[in-house]
Amino acid sequence: MAWLLVVAGLVLVGVGVAAAVGQAGSGAQPWGNELSDNFTFVKALPFVVGFGVAVGLLMSRTYGAKVRADGAVRRWSPGTVFGHWVLTLGFVLALPTGMWQYLGGILDVNLPIPLYLFYRVHYIGASIVLFAVAAFVSYLYLTGDRSLVVPRGQWGRHLLGLAYELPPSLRGRYAKLLRVDLRQPRPPAGKFTFYEKVVEFPSWSIVLALITITGLIKAGRYLIPVPGFVLWLASTLHVAAMVIIVIKLLDHLRYTFPRWSLMGAITTTWMKERAPAPGQSSSERSGTSAAGVAGGGDT
Amino acid sequence: MRRLVALLGLVWSLANLGVAYFFLTSAFVAKTAAKEGILAQLSLLVGGVLIAAFAILLARECLRMLTSAPASEPA
Repeated sequence: MAWLLVVAGLVLVGVGVAAAVGQAGSGAQPWGNELSDNFTFVKALPFVVGFGVAVGLLMSRTYGAKVRADGAVRRWSPGTVFGHWVLTLGFVLALPTGMWQYLGGILDVNLPIPLYLFYRVHYIGASIVLFAVAAFVSYLYLTGDRSLVVPRGQWGRHLLGLAYELPPSLRGRYAKLLRVDLRQPRPPAGKFTFYEKVVEFPSWSIVLALITITGLIKAGRYLIPVPGFVLWLASTLHVAAMVIIVIKLLDHLRYTFPRWSLMGAITTTWMKERAPAPGQSSSERSGTSAAGVAGGGDT
Repeated sequence: MRRLVALLGLVWSLANLGVAYFFLTSAFVAKTAAKEGILAQLSLLVGGVLIAAFAILLARECLRMLTSAPASEPA
């Protein structure tokens, strides 16, 4: 049934995009290249989002804890791994082209490549990002998976755990700023590190929501009248979200590259051991504050 | 594979250092001040500094991965 929905969704996307491209390319509309692409993008979006929801349903079928005979645990479901790489592809296309649109304007420079081609690739990347976001929302709704969300009443424990994952040079200042009591023992992390739960997941969720909403307002302005101030605000926040994503992507790679098992898990879904941390011994993982302090930062 | 990933990461961080350079230099030119105003200049400055800082941190990790033996890989 899920496969049937996905195939039907794919067919509908094909039909929807073909209809939008057909209208834009018919010559009957007084649109330039950029405007044609904008209309094609906006009209294709409902189909792309719907397809994302259907694929999220299929992704949710792959959800579930598993342990291999050699003790390896399934850290991510195959659906999550698929969604992660689709999102990556979307960023690879949308981020550099979006950055050039912004920087080209600031620097007042024109490349020999026409600007509408940058927009075209940006729209394709944005469509892929929106597809992935819809798929993930659908997946999380259907599975009820909240393993990356800090549970209610658990923020204190998580902020303390994060303190022990920070480099010692930052730990004291962080603890003072957030009034974290470092005399308490280091709490044990679960399947995910405290950095992933307190910093990574919430910030990615917020910034993805921001760039999605502001991008939709910007893209939809030729179909629905948007007040000038709202458009200015959406444009400003869209650029801000883009810069934050650039920074977050650098931080994400900085965090995951040295923890090679995380790279393996986001490719194969499996991880041989829990919560990796450079230089962290098994005694530190047991969660004693002395070991945590002595062991240096993990983040 | 580790080395290939480290090399790609290094290329990505260098590209981001280029972006940071344009952000930082654009923050101080008169054209930006005239066209965009002081808030845009400040945003470019802060954004450029942060992008450069995180790009350097990533480059450092990639260089570590390139120079360290696979046996000394963390977890």
